[in-house]
Amino acid sequence: MVLGAAIPIARAQNNYEIQVYGADTVAPRNTMVELHSNFTADGQRNFVAGMEPTNHAEHETIEITQGINDWSEVGFYIFTSERDGQGVQWVGDHIRPRVRVPEKWRWPVGVSLSTEVGYQRARYAPDTWDWEIRPIIDKTSGRWYWAVNPALERAWHGPDVKLGIDFSPSVKVSYDFTKQITGGFEYYADYGSITNIASLHDQQQQIFPAIDLNVSPDWEFNFGVGLGPTAATDHWIVKCIVGRRFDWSRKKQ
Amino acid sequence: MIERKLNSRLTDSRVDSFPSRRKFLYGASLAAASLALSRDESAFAWTAASQSAPAQEPVPDYRIEIAEIEWELSPKKKIRTAAYNGQIPGTLLRVTEGKPVAIEIVNHLDRAEIVHWHGQWIPVEADGAMEEGSPMIPAGGKTLVQFTPRPAGLHWYHTHAMGNRDLKRGLYSGQFGVLLVDPRSNPGAYDQEQFIVLHDWEAYYSASGDGSLMVEYVCGSINGRMLGHDAPIEVREGQRVLFHILNASATEPHWLALPGHRFKVLALDGSPVATEASVETLRLGPAERITAMVTMDTPGVFVLGEARDEFRSAGMGTVIEYAGRTGKPVSPQAGKLKWDYRAFAKANPAVHTPDVTIPLVFSSRFKGHGALDKWMINGKSWPDTDSIVLREGLRHRLVFVNKSTDDHPVHLHRHNFELVSIRGAATSGVHKDVVIVEAGTTVEADLLATNRGNTLFHCHQQDHMDSGFMALFRYA
Repeated sequence: MVLGAAIPIARAQNNYEIQVYGADTVAPRNTMVELHSNFTADGQRNFVAGMEPTNHAEHETIEITQGINDWSEVGFYIFTSERDGQGVQWVGDHIRPRVRVPEKWRWPVGVSLSTEVGYQRARYAPDTWDWEIRPIIDKTSGRWYWAVNPALERAWHGPDVKLGIDFSPSVKVSYDFTKQITGGFEYYADYGSITNIASLHDQQQQIFPAIDLNVSPDWEFNFGVGLGPTAATDHWIVKCIVGRRFDWSRKKQ
Repeated sequence: MIERKLNSRLTDSRVDSFPSRRKFLYGASLAAASLALSRDESAFAWTAASQSAPAQEPVPDYRIEIAEIEWELSPKKKIRTAAYNGQIPGTLLRVTEGKPVAIEIVNHLDRAEIVHWHGQWIPVEADGAMEEGSPMIPAGGKTLVQFTPRPAGLHWYHTHAMGNRDLKRGLYSGQFGVLLVDPRSNPGAYDQEQFIVLHDWEAYYSASGDGSLMVEYVCGSINGRMLGHDAPIEVREGQRVLFHILNASATEPHWLALPGHRFKVLALDGSPVATEASVETLRLGPAERITAMVTMDTPGVFVLGEARDEFRSAGMGTVIEYAGRTGKPVSPQAGKLKWDYRAFAKANPAVHTPDVTIPLVFSSRFKGHGALDKWMINGKSWPDTDSIVLREGLRHRLVFVNKSTDDHPVHLHRHNFELVSIRGAATSGVHKDVVIVEAGTTVEADLLATNRGNTLFHCHQQDHMDSGFMALFRYA
């Protein structure tokens, strides 16, 4: 999920939810509540095109996902931003339905398709309405896991409407060190319009060494530190996801 | 006059009466086709046996033919699987305690197979476990198994071949059937007898969640049919129906309920219980059996099936219909699922002092979220597990310590054991050959070593068994 984007990529703020999606969906009669906390340790220091600086901004996103059946879910986001002297500011909301190939179809890889639409205030993104479609492919094999999200984005309202569809892939590769501790790398990028790929200087490129803690089926925990080597990317971001699953179907035994 | 009505879905495969005992018709053309197939196969089998059996060998009382079949769980769900005598479950084998029986097994598969006589106190040669030394039946070969059935009660026969990573083999397949050993006397008082065999189908590996790779299933069945696709069990008000229930699932425990009725539990794993308690819901781990009486005192149409919606909607149920009643069947409402073996124990537990105490600690080694755990007994996996030495005639206290986060239905071949403590609470009077040791708990059971020979001990979850959860007991 990326807020804003497209050229000029450097102007967008895309660090509200930093996560590579797996193909799993939330189980029916289950609700997943996640808090995404992202702190930009070294980012854009100036107002650019009317947008707030990102440097030292703390972005808190609440994500609530409801499982519908064994192949679909709907997610809802509340984005907020906080910088010194400004307090907590509401940024926008998105809704994200998702379907998957049910596991019982026994495909060799996990496959799902997510689509997301929503609004964000112009102070935080150049485009106030946008839409994303995100294919998701993943595979768990022994201790290894990989996931690929070749996402496509389209601005519906704002200066980037004319730029067409934007390509924003993300990739995750991880290894189970123990049952509880999984470590790996997450890669996020925005290459700009698929018909006019941006120069490397203007692309967003981020790599996050990250760990996942699997301490309980009811909890998820992800932590990473991201390095953005291009000029268009915030240079250092610290991210943390804490999630709690609520199972409304659980039988008492 | 007591009417004894046999649930003829589980047909008798006695070689001299197999075709005529298949009384139950599923209705419509499917039933006719199915019946014709069985008759043809039976006729073939009888001819083959007559021609090939050496003169000195006894004429078999029963024959089991292992072959791949296409089976219709429902009109929309056909599966291809290995099965016994062309049907699922395999034909009902009904024998008498203490009366020797000879069973010919013909293996039409392209791989070696083996049939285990689960719950029987019989010699190693007949038991059907290659780890003990029982012979495999080669691909395309046959064998004659002879034993004297004991003890009486509800038992079963099934493949003991490893599934390994192939989710179409072992107990993931249709290779299972009921073995009912009638006592020499006192068959019990009931009006109707019904056999209920649970199974899960189309297994697949699931890597979702925080745990290791797990086996899940697309659908389930009772007596080889999905809910709504079998003829109802017809009962009359006031009848006492004796249910023989077997969980033949490769890995899943199941909870069974019949709305508005209670199960009076008479026996567990074929052994009569000390206290015949009545319960609303039955729990059966893989390989567990329950013999229970239900008094039909609530007229209507009901689903006898899984108490949990997700399993019942996947097919695990059958309809019970009172005479003259019609309408939509009432399904079980999943309430609190509760099961305690001690409900069937003696009110005042007897205290025995064991001669030998044998700790058996169950644990697992994580191999990745996308792999099966490696299972261990006392820190080692089969075939490296240490042998447990038994001394004939002595009382051995088996201390099952489950340090894992999974429940384990552990099974001991060729013997049974008496539960003496569960979670630290003393008990007695419940004899079993499979017991679920819940995650993080300890169960103690006393074994009287009275049946010499190698004896296999293992978790009856096929994936756990395939991943090292086995050990061999040897007599000193």
